[in-house]
Amino acid sequence: MKFKDYYEVLGVTRTATDDEIKVAYRKLARKYHPDVSKEPDAEDHFKEIGEAYSVLKDAEKRAAYDQVGKQAKHGQDFTPPPNWDTGFEFSGSGFDDKTAADQSEFFEALFGHHARGRQSQNMNAKGRDHHAKVMIDLSDAYHGAKRSIALQMPSHDAQGRIVMKERILDVTIPIGIHAGQHLRLSGQGAPGIGAGTAGDLYLEILFKPNALYRFEDKDIYMDIPITPWEAALGATVSVPTPSGSVELKIPAGSNAGKKLRLKGRGIPATTPGDLYVVIAISIPPADSEQAKEAYRAMAKAFDFNPRANMKGSS
Amino acid sequence: MSTTQMQMAASCIVENEVLWSITELCHATNAQTEHVIAWVYEGILTPQGDAPENWRFSGDALQRAKKALRLSRDLEINTPGVAMVLDLLDEIARLKK
Repeated sequence: MKFKDYYEVLGVTRTATDDEIKVAYRKLARKYHPDVSKEPDAEDHFKEIGEAYSVLKDAEKRAAYDQVGKQAKHGQDFTPPPNWDTGFEFSGSGFDDKTAADQSEFFEALFGHHARGRQSQNMNAKGRDHHAKVMIDLSDAYHGAKRSIALQMPSHDAQGRIVMKERILDVTIPIGIHAGQHLRLSGQGAPGIGAGTAGDLYLEILFKPNALYRFEDKDIYMDIPITPWEAALGATVSVPTPSGSVELKIPAGSNAGKKLRLKGRGIPATTPGDLYVVIAISIPPADSEQAKEAYRAMAKAFDFNPRANMKGSS
Repeated sequence: MSTTQMQMAASCIVENEVLWSITELCHATNAQTEHVIAWVYEGILTPQGDAPENWRFSGDALQRAKKALRLSRDLEINTPGVAMVLDLLDEIARLKK
């Protein structure tokens, strides 16, 4: 296990005040919040920041952490000393199941045994609904599919510790689902309490990244490279769409970035999405005398300055 | 880690097929009823129906309510702030098209 320097994670000194820690957390949280951030690995970053903050904002936990962290450095191998936490009393405030399950191994080694699930007794209630994210192929949305999905679920063992349990679900992916939508699997959430029914499981659908296609709700975007002469003179080219190959007519005078819409060729639905083919012009390399001559002939043939409308600022 | 295999019950696409009452939406998102009511009066969620007990939320409300909850909890933003962030995120999505 590696030691995590929570001060380094938040970018504050070991003597930082509570206010400095809060400001540092807020800044980083805005930068890496998965709903807002475009940074790569935002979610992992955000979890790390949240974990650091949950310790450093709490005077008890911070003092305990400082005690074990005196000599350790970030990333160093680390084992908590035996009985390291004797002499500290935790009031054990506010971990719910979800946050506890998101904590790192390091955090659990230090604070994990204080995480408790909320137990409701002597009542009947529907079990909690669970949420998970699932990656599917774009083609599953076009054709439907059956997929086995492995889900890890935190649950409590006899000592009340959080342990991961895996279960495998066979899920039918319906035709027409798209990224950002949710599948509801009735009764696959947490068991009901007392005589209550089981909760539901919600699967948020994401598409696996695809080299050819981009996704926007039901619409699909793809780039199609064409030659300068196909762009200038028009042409019919073969386009590999998710629903099969299509002969697409490129109108004469199509510039780079022009979007051609193939109506109804997006993700299937009662009103199906559209497929947008975005023109990209690819120029052949001038790697032979003949090719160079052809470019020189073009230069002579055209009185063309694409920068005619650009004015310098001076 | 223990592994259990099980056969699957039927599934449905929430966004196309589900209409929620406020109780169901709260259960699915883990949000408090007061939160959801505040979000409706702020225009973050737009259910059909005239009073909270008659509200019917479309399936899209799931994603929006989850986002609103995460923003208010993780970034400690108040309700008008959450509304503004969600509007700006929609705007960014529109501009990217």
